[in-house]
Amino acid sequence: MAGAADAPRPPEEPAEAILFGQSAALSGPASELGQGMRLGLQAAFNEVNQAGGVHGRRLALETLDDTYEPVAAIANTRELIERHQVFALIGAVGTPTSAAAQPIAMEAGVPYIAPFTGAEFLRDARLRPNVVNVRASYYQETEEMVSRLTGDLGVRRIGVLYQDDSFGRAGLEGVRRATQRRGLELVATAEYVRNTEAVKIALLDLRRARPEAVIIIGAYKPAAAIIRWAHRLDFKPSFVNISFVGSSALAKELGENGAGVYVTQVVPFPENIELPVVAQYQAALQATAPGAMPGFVSLEGYLAGRLAAEGLRLAGPQPSREGFLRALQQAEAIDLGGFVLRYGADDNQGSEQVYLTMINGRGQFRAKARMAPR
Amino acid sequence: MSAAADDAPPGQGAGQGAAQGAGQSALAAKPEAGAAGKRRMGVGAQLYSGLIGAIVLTLSASLVAYFSFREILGQQSRLAEYSVPNLIDSVGVARQSAVVVNGAVRLIAAASQAEHDAVAEELSQDRKNLDEIIDALQSRSAFSAQTESIQNHLLEIEVELESIRESAARRLVITGILAGLAEKLAEANRSIERILVAAIDDQGFYLAEGLRRLEDQADSVQERASASELAFYRDLITASHQSNLAVLLLEEALALSDRGLLEPLQERFHSAVENFRRAYAGLSSRSSNETLRENLETLARIGESAEGIIPLRREALLRLERERDALASGREHSERLLADVNLLVAEINREAVQASEASQAAVRTGIALLILLNVLSVAGAALLGWLFVGRYLVRRLVKLAKAMRSMAGGDLEVPVEVRGNDEVSDMANALEVFRRHALEVQRLNLVEKLAQELDVKNHSLEQALEDLKRAQEQIVAEEKLSSLGQLTAGVAHEIKNPLNFIGNFSDVSAELIEEIGEMLEEAREGKLDLAEEIEDLLPDLRINLKKVKEHSQRADGIVRSMLEHSRATPGEWRPDDVNALLKRYVDLAYHSLRAKDAAFNLKLTEDLDPDMGQIEVIPQDLGRVFLNLATNACQALDEKRRSAGPDYKPELTLTSKRLSDRAEFCVRDNGPGIPKDLRKKIFEPFMTTKPTGEGTGLGLSLVADILTRHGGAIQLDTKEGEFTEMRISLPLQRPPEASR
Repeated sequence: MAGAADAPRPPEEPAEAILFGQSAALSGPASELGQGMRLGLQAAFNEVNQAGGVHGRRLALETLDDTYEPVAAIANTRELIERHQVFALIGAVGTPTSAAAQPIAMEAGVPYIAPFTGAEFLRDARLRPNVVNVRASYYQETEEMVSRLTGDLGVRRIGVLYQDDSFGRAGLEGVRRATQRRGLELVATAEYVRNTEAVKIALLDLRRARPEAVIIIGAYKPAAAIIRWAHRLDFKPSFVNISFVGSSALAKELGENGAGVYVTQVVPFPENIELPVVAQYQAALQATAPGAMPGFVSLEGYLAGRLAAEGLRLAGPQPSREGFLRALQQAEAIDLGGFVLRYGADDNQGSEQVYLTMINGRGQFRAKARMAPR
Repeated sequence: MSAAADDAPPGQGAGQGAAQGAGQSALAAKPEAGAAGKRRMGVGAQLYSGLIGAIVLTLSASLVAYFSFREILGQQSRLAEYSVPNLIDSVGVARQSAVVVNGAVRLIAAASQAEHDAVAEELSQDRKNLDEIIDALQSRSAFSAQTESIQNHLLEIEVELESIRESAARRLVITGILAGLAEKLAEANRSIERILVAAIDDQGFYLAEGLRRLEDQADSVQERASASELAFYRDLITASHQSNLAVLLLEEALALSDRGLLEPLQERFHSAVENFRRAYAGLSSRSSNETLRENLETLARIGESAEGIIPLRREALLRLERERDALASGREHSERLLADVNLLVAEINREAVQASEASQAAVRTGIALLILLNVLSVAGAALLGWLFVGRYLVRRLVKLAKAMRSMAGGDLEVPVEVRGNDEVSDMANALEVFRRHALEVQRLNLVEKLAQELDVKNHSLEQALEDLKRAQEQIVAEEKLSSLGQLTAGVAHEIKNPLNFIGNFSDVSAELIEEIGEMLEEAREGKLDLAEEIEDLLPDLRINLKKVKEHSQRADGIVRSMLEHSRATPGEWRPDDVNALLKRYVDLAYHSLRAKDAAFNLKLTEDLDPDMGQIEVIPQDLGRVFLNLATNACQALDEKRRSAGPDYKPELTLTSKRLSDRAEFCVRDNGPGIPKDLRKKIFEPFMTTKPTGEGTGLGLSLVADILTRHGGAIQLDTKEGEFTEMRISLPLQRPPEASR
């Protein structure tokens, strides 16, 4: 074979790109989430590809719209796996959609990376070995909410508005556990139908119980609706939203009504460029979509993309899906630049971090270490 | 083949005869000359004929194998061309029949038009294949009864299949339509729900708070709790409820499988739609919502129209039932068909088994024949090997080799006997000729060699003899010198004695002559009578001179015998006075010893036969015998005298006796005698009891030697502490064979 080295080398064929598939809501009421995730992923992939790819191979993303509907998510997932032959699925949005799509990916042995959900069932590494979560769970978010509300504000009466599906119920369950841990019972719970803004009767039900704080496990539109109407009715408990709400959209939707609304986050504050990964994210975002505003969702998408690239780098050239998952599991700690992810044999969730943010009077988000009475 | 073995023996003896005939007289004669004219078969010919025999056996085995294989092949090809294909086809018929029958099930179960078409296509292909197989079977065999029956069943199955196919196709169309309807239903439902949920939320909130929009001022309780607002809220609730109910009923209709349940379901759906319509009529009195209305009508159409879910579902279920009936009927036919197929398979199988058995029988026969031939071939080859190669060729070769080996080992005596008339016997004959040549040569060589060896041995013997003789002479000379030394004193004494006498008598004679001279003076003066005086003196003078002469003769004799004794030249035979010889040497020995030791004395007793006279001897040698014996005796006596007390009187007795044919001499002493263990050794050379330097040890051995040369003998008689007697016997004449 020594002779081969002397022979003129044929022009190197560009190594085949590694294709990732994403099924997310690009239209409909959760569209901002899907688009944000896609944007973040693209920014990350572009950044990696600009730097020469992973082991010489480019990263590519194929995104299909599921409008936040489980049935569409199933069809998309099948298509991505069977037709596009994606290496892995990444950046799915939503709990019911993930609940529908993840088993399909698992059956096909395809990694299911960084779904935009904190649902607990995706965090059982033994039952879902193909799942790689980035973000903290909903239970961790709700625990943080209740901890802040009771600790910082001394709140005792808590009500919950939740979306009437697996996502909402997961959040509700998280809140219930957190309050029960503190010897409290929820004073009121109310649900609304997914993909509607019909929250007013729920608002009345909540108000009747006179809660000091209302935790909203829902999408930004109904969340904004209930906050607006609550303000209209001069009912002003502390509103706390879960990360899934879609923070930027919520702030936009709320306008002046947004002041003092809390949102828990599972990624760092996207303006905090002191954190290297956030600075990289902003640069990548500007390179990919000039003029795009940094946001929590696209930052999460970016982190997901960077994690995928790191996993491929660790898995070595010609990575297998098993090798990719194993590489992440066996990695000591994956530091993406101030945002550290840790996985293990029984731990498929990289980050335990929950960040508290609040919308100010000008509709802007501010990172908060603690809640403050108004 | 046995011909070769049979032919070989007649050649026997020919070669042997030739060899014998050639024998000594014609060593160079060609061995085959004797066999000329007789039938000859060379080793090559023998081997080739053996090989040909083996080939013939092998060929015949191959021939048998060929015919066996042909038979087997025939049977096999019957199996292959007829039975096996029949078997395969019958199995194919069974399998394809099952496939065709099962095709109906697959048709019914087909979930899509594409799948249905594919199954139908496959089915027709399967059907075609089946026909082909059956045709092939019919063309090959006489199973027409079964195949016809099978085909009849197939035709009946096909009729059923066709009806199923058509019905299933229509059912699939319906299923497709239903799927589209279900989607529309879901869409309509979502739309209705979205409108109604939002509207109910709005109306409920209005009833509670009097607000419809954020910017509105709240209406009063009277306004918002009016009968019309409440009726509107009720109608919204009813619409929502009934629309949900209608959707649920249609979904149930899509799922249920019992056609009978469709009837009551349709009734309930109809009433739900009617209720929804009524509620909508109430709602529309305040604000008509086109979308809601359209969706309401869509819902009704989806459910009840001729192309709606319920009628289509009814038709589909009906068709499914009929298809199942057709399938059952088809199954009955197919069971009969399979029974026929089984019969056919069994029939064909039986035939195939027969063919296979025939083939196996052929194989067995072939195997048996081949084994038999193999046994024959092996036996033939063994027989050939044994008869010809082993018994005849090899054995003769072995014999030949053995003969060669023994010849090489030097044994040329055994004649080479190999019979036959071929190269082997030629070799044997040549070998025999060679052997005789070799034998001749060997014999000549042997004689020459023996002569040479003898020569060498003779030479060395002569050499040894020469050496021995020289040594003997040396020894004898030494012995002579030694005894001479011993004798010197005795000789001196012997000579001194006569010389003394001679001196004395000479002195006396000289005094007599002085007296005569004085007498002469006186006589001249005349004072006396001279003659008288001389007369008195003369006898004395005569006696004196006689005595001088006598004693000078005696001295001369001593000196002569000394010379004689020491002379190196061999002595001569002559008659001699042996008694005198004895006495003289005994005297010599005695005086020799006395000369050394004056104290030594002995009593000598002589009993010599006066009639002894002269005996022919070698006086020089015999004298040595006597000297030796006497010296030994004197020394023994001296020895004893020294050890014994003063009472001991040494005695030496000499005896001689002339007998008729021999003379006997005896020397006896009363010395210490000879110990028993020495008695036998005393005549061996170098045997001595004397200290080193005093004796050579050759004395008695020489004695025995000399006596043997004289034809005489010596005998010892002794008693320890008392005496020793040496007895010599000599023939009276010189023995005829005696020589030096």
